[in-house]
Amino acid sequence: MTWFSTIFLKNRRFVNFGLAAILFLLITFSPNVVRPLLGNICSSIFFYPFAELKYYIIELQDASRENRLLEKQLTEASLQLEILSEAKRENQRLREVIGFDPPENFRLIPVKIVTLYQNVYPIAAVINKGSRESIKINQPVINRFGLVGKIKEVMPDFATVTLLTDPMNAVSGRVAETREIGIVRFSPDKGMYFDNLPADSDIEPNHLVISSGLGGVYPAGLSLAIVDSVTASRGDILKTVYLKPTVNFFKIDELYVLTGGEQ
Amino acid sequence: MRFIPYILYLFLLALYLTILRDITYICGAQIDLAVLMAALVALYKSEMTTFWFAVCIAIISGTPLLDLLPWEMIILVIPALIVNQISARINLESLTSRLILVAGYLLIHQAVLTLIVAGNDFFILLYKSILPTMVYSLVIGWLIFQILDGRITWKKTKALF
Repeated sequence: MTWFSTIFLKNRRFVNFGLAAILFLLITFSPNVVRPLLGNICSSIFFYPFAELKYYIIELQDASRENRLLEKQLTEASLQLEILSEAKRENQRLREVIGFDPPENFRLIPVKIVTLYQNVYPIAAVINKGSRESIKINQPVINRFGLVGKIKEVMPDFATVTLLTDPMNAVSGRVAETREIGIVRFSPDKGMYFDNLPADSDIEPNHLVISSGLGGVYPAGLSLAIVDSVTASRGDILKTVYLKPTVNFFKIDELYVLTGGEQ
Repeated sequence: MRFIPYILYLFLLALYLTILRDITYICGAQIDLAVLMAALVALYKSEMTTFWFAVCIAIISGTPLLDLLPWEMIILVIPALIVNQISARINLESLTSRLILVAGYLLIHQAVLTLIVAGNDFFILLYKSILPTMVYSLVIGWLIFQILDGRITWKKTKALF
């Protein structure tokens, strides 16, 4: 082995060139064995990890692009769903209204609330129809749950509705079960209550209070409230009756003006 | 241990050929990183290091097209040895002389490779690909020399912004 290392060290340059020349000749004249073998080794050691990295990056980019696209589609679908849900709710309300028979000689004009005047309770609303649509002062305004209020002011394309929650707006009411008559009022501290009911009245909680038709503004039979509690002290002339309105005045949106009853 | 930097250079070349080449490609011009690496080693290292490094560079850059592997070996190894021999006889302090050597190396590599691959369209490709690639690679080479000479440093670059 000594002679080999001596030759190698003395002729290092030529040995290196010789080795390279052998490698070159092998690569050149062995295209089917050495070249593929060398290519395979180089590819697996040097190129494969970076190729994997490249495809990983491409996949990440594709996933990111797809994610953005899906997010956009999801937003659009959510919006569509919101619109359809609202349409479904509207459809439900309209279905219920179809089943509602307006009082004799009255017809319904559907209106929408433009704005609400609200202090502690909503007490007035502006609706989107006015005198051009035959809306007149004092016409009753209802929704599917019962009486909401009456027209107070009329403009050509808008009208103002004073709601039952307005303390100035009192309605003559009747207890549907006992046929007793009183006045339905609203005050911010007491809420809705039934006034002028004698102490010997048979009224009980859960009785329905409807409009009596007296006074000529509201037709008889419109739901006003449910009796919430009844209190009477010994010696009192009148009963104190607290009511729960059938209409949720915080959630009113689609209303109907009853017209034609005055004719 | 002294082989590790060269192995890292080979990995850098593989990374460039796999990912970075597409990113740095500008209108027909690409960086001839194989020549730049071989030239840098040829300028500053010994003959044997240059020789074997050029052989390895040729094998790596010829792997994607194995038919060209012998040609790659010839046009990378022989000019690298020539550059190595010339570098011992010129003033390496001069940036211009180094750039001329690198430009010659780049031109030989690109021109011969184009002649082999697309000899009929050589003169069209000379303007569309060979010269732009040469200029682009030279600019990168100039930047590398600036960094090696300490004219471009991290501190100076940071001071610009």
